[in-house]
Amino acid sequence: MSIVNRRDLLQGGAGVALLAALDASLLGEAVAQEQPKRGGTLAYAQLSANRRSAGPNNSKHPYFIVDANTKQIWSTPTWVNPELGLELEIATKLEPADDSLKVWDMTLREGVMFHDMTEMTAADAVASFDYHRQNAPFARQITKVEQTGKYTVRFTLEAGNAEFGYVLAEYNSPIMKAAPLETIGLDGIGTGAFKIVQSDPNRLMILERFESYWRKGLPHLDRIEIHNREGQQESALNGLRSGQFDAVMNIDGRAALQFQNDPNFEIETARGGYSFVIQMPKHPGSPFLDKRVRQAFAYAIDREAIVRVAYSGRFGWIGNDSHLMVTDAAFVPRAGGRDVAKAKQLLAEAGHPNGINLGTLYWSPQLPEAGRYFQVLQQSVKDAGITLAIEERPNDGYIQFRTGDNDLSKGNFHKFAMTAVGSRNPGISLFRMRAAFVESGHWRGPEHDKYLALYNQAMITPDAAKRKAIYAEMQAILHEEVPAILPAGGNTLMVKRKHMRNMPYHPQIWSIRYEEIWRA
Amino acid sequence: MLIAALRRVLLSVITLVMLAVFIFIATEIMPGDALDVSLSADEIAMIPPERLAKMKQDLGLDRPAHERLLAFLNGAITLDFGKTLISKTPVSAIIGYPLRNSLILAGAVLLIAIPLALAIGIAAAFWKGRAVDHLVSTGSIIGYSIPEFVIGTILVMLFAVAWPIFPATITASTRDPALTLLASSPLAVATVLIGSIAYLARLLRTGMVDALASDFVERLRLTGIPEWRIVFLHALPAAVVPSLTALALYAASLVSGIVVVELVFAYPGLGQELVRGVTRREVHVVQAIALCSAAVVVALNLLADLAILMLDPRTRRA
Repeated sequence: MSIVNRRDLLQGGAGVALLAALDASLLGEAVAQEQPKRGGTLAYAQLSANRRSAGPNNSKHPYFIVDANTKQIWSTPTWVNPELGLELEIATKLEPADDSLKVWDMTLREGVMFHDMTEMTAADAVASFDYHRQNAPFARQITKVEQTGKYTVRFTLEAGNAEFGYVLAEYNSPIMKAAPLETIGLDGIGTGAFKIVQSDPNRLMILERFESYWRKGLPHLDRIEIHNREGQQESALNGLRSGQFDAVMNIDGRAALQFQNDPNFEIETARGGYSFVIQMPKHPGSPFLDKRVRQAFAYAIDREAIVRVAYSGRFGWIGNDSHLMVTDAAFVPRAGGRDVAKAKQLLAEAGHPNGINLGTLYWSPQLPEAGRYFQVLQQSVKDAGITLAIEERPNDGYIQFRTGDNDLSKGNFHKFAMTAVGSRNPGISLFRMRAAFVESGHWRGPEHDKYLALYNQAMITPDAAKRKAIYAEMQAILHEEVPAILPAGGNTLMVKRKHMRNMPYHPQIWSIRYEEIWRA
Repeated sequence: MLIAALRRVLLSVITLVMLAVFIFIATEIMPGDALDVSLSADEIAMIPPERLAKMKQDLGLDRPAHERLLAFLNGAITLDFGKTLISKTPVSAIIGYPLRNSLILAGAVLLIAIPLALAIGIAAAFWKGRAVDHLVSTGSIIGYSIPEFVIGTILVMLFAVAWPIFPATITASTRDPALTLLASSPLAVATVLIGSIAYLARLLRTGMVDALASDFVERLRLTGIPEWRIVFLHALPAAVVPSLTALALYAASLVSGIVVVELVFAYPGLGQELVRGVTRREVHVVQAIALCSAAVVVALNLLADLAILMLDPRTRRA
């Protein structure tokens, strides 16, 4: 059994570490040079809302408030820092019970109070994760959760998972006050830095400082107003310009640029927020069945041009054809860069000396830049003799549209299509390229099997450094096999007024530490 | 008259039933479902296909269409539209306040717009061909033809950003009292008002021009009745009656059709809830809102028809 220290956790997060009590200096970035001021309100507009509509009865439940704000009200056992490393939060210890990494023991911080001034204990964690494992996709791997002491909990998983700690940091992993499954979480009572004082379903949430928050001396702010402006970027920006809002979260890069020269505003960006995957169906008769065609396509794309045009050169990054974000410590850049000559050579070897038509690449406007992103891609591959049409499809039903049947004999194949990819740990991200999932585009064969075997090995490797080496090997397979292409990604963006201090953005927007923000 | 009125009521009921079926079909052919939308691609990546199928089954998404149609029609009759698919919240709880808020906005606009439009329409008709008439005609064409989102954006830039005297976006809660809501929505009201006054003034001007040029007004003038009495007591009722149906339809469109204004200003009305319902594939919410909107249109049309029946004896023979 290896015991991993905080540095190990930061590097990849494995099983875990025994840290002494987590104090303010441990979490987050160093506080700015100025002395934080106490008091004041932060009013902000959130452009990405929860996918689940709330009603009056459940609008205080963590699953039905805007995902990005869950951790203002509740605490999770662990926290993902802006470098996508794992840290302990309300847990003081998280470690596997044995080498199988199927059983994990967690010790909770003592003396943590809920907003109703009752103490949080293991009973609350057990009730919460009993709910999560039945309702949250990431937590479904938990087959059993049991209390082993007043502050200790044991999780049993369906399979070993060295990165289980990341599951405990998800926005759907907060510790709620124990209650029956039917009612747990509905009271909106958490252990977070702010407590709910008003909730207008899907529209507005007003929070106030929780004086007995477990991180002493925090939060700095008295009050937070969260205004849901999903799909209403102009309304949100008007509110920002007029002074009604102090910040707008998840803004489009082009819209953000209009504030860059205004002395009252700052653009905050977090590297590695999301990217796009192009799934290439490798069914009989498909040109993508030939690895050389896939390689040629990958070499032909001008990824720098995509970053330049789709992300104004400032808010994007070059992908490596895996689902990992550039921020991730395990991310291995794709070697070689763009090589049109090599692409042409590969196409010629594959029997397409005069170029190839790849058919129609479908895309949907999941993010504002998607249109310009794929136009640049389409133009850039022409240099290598690759022709493709691009066709926009509505977001509505897009998942069903691009997903075929894994059983190739049924003739219902996955589409040549893109989709957006969020920022997660390698255990989740690299799992997306399995044959059973649409984004690998029916990827089969010995290299796939080797990839999956490495994945399974990584999941039961407690040592973070060794796991990182396995992830590098897996990415090398992806670079050679190119089952899918992830050309470039974007950063998450926020525009804020300058008087809001210590408000850095985060690739996972639900992991922002609001308790450290202060108003000048 | 009673038979004519009953005939119109019956026609309204038939129209509503047909609309209900149409609404159901429209929501049926929407691609995707509530489960797909409620899960992110990241989450779906972690769920085995068989588990996904079971989740759809649990939500009733695999029930046959005819079963769901009957349930919807039954709900429409009993005004119980069921619960939302994902959060299991009663639909009435979801749309109650947004419906009230849309009625508040529409009501406030009509309360201001109708008297103003009457005054402007009468003045333009009375001074037909003069400067006032030209001004009203040109102004109403411009006011009515500029899209509301353009008017709204201009008002925001002028009165919320450049000269910050009004809020740019509405931050009031859905459940705030009517006056609180209206106090935070002056630019939203003004935006709808400009188009409304333009439309109604033009409508009334046309009716008044016809009425003032009619034979019966000419005869009244010959009897020496003062002009103001002719205008307000004789010509105006004659001008208003033909406009009633158009006015009713316009009022209905205000309740159900100010989605753009609601989005520009984030007004917590029915339009926003409809957009959210469509986005989330909460078909019960979409169906309920669509049916409520349809019912408002049919009801106001019926009221206008009945009013015309009462005011214009010629229509009773139809």
